[in-house]
Amino acid sequence: MIKVLFFGPVAEKIGQREMLLDFTDGMTLHGVTHDIDLRYPGALSIVSFMAVNQQQVRDAQIALNDDDEIALMAKFSGG
Amino acid sequence: MNAPVRIQQEDFSQDEEISALKASSSRMGGIATFLGCARDFSAGHSVSEISFEAYGSMALSEMRTLREEAITRFGLLDARIVHRVTTVKAGDNIVFIAAGAEHRAAAFDACRWMIDELKQRVPIWKKEITPQGDAWVTPHP
Repeated sequence: MIKVLFFGPVAEKIGQREMLLDFTDGMTLHGVTHDIDLRYPGALSIVSFMAVNQQQVRDAQIALNDDDEIALMAKFSGG
Repeated sequence: MNAPVRIQQEDFSQDEEISALKASSSRMGGIATFLGCARDFSAGHSVSEISFEAYGSMALSEMRTLREEAITRFGLLDARIVHRVTTVKAGDNIVFIAAGAEHRAAAFDACRWMIDELKQRVPIWKKEITPQGDAWVTPHP
């Protein structure tokens, strides 16, 4: 199972904070974002950062493993 | 003693954080601090409250990395970073950063660097609650 987390403005656009997806061999981060984009058109337009298991990643083609935790995040505004 | 890097709901004491920093080394000759606090006015409108949200585990990990990097990069003796994640009103404390070094230049530079990097790298978001409605804040320098 892949857990996808949403925070702040992205969670507001998606309408939920967490999504569970069945893991399949060969699954990539791009595949996950593509799937979510189809289900929630435009909701990911404000995503500026992605993380897999709390590590920021820039390559959307990264292969996922079962039980990975993904975060799709808007620009940060802490401080 | 509290951990040098924390995310918490409750307020913090600057005096306690500085005391903890000073206690880490008797060679410390300069301490620079940054206190971020809530304003009641932003981008031309009144702000009633500011609500914070964080990706807690990643935010804490990034803040710890940030502290370690600052210590190495600027030759600090110690550093502390505390960020509140809760809802605050005007005047309330939000974030506290302290850099302790043998001399002031490194402390000043590191303190500025840490708050600038925190804003870029740490997954925390703020929403301004105004009489006209709520809005997530778009980052600015």
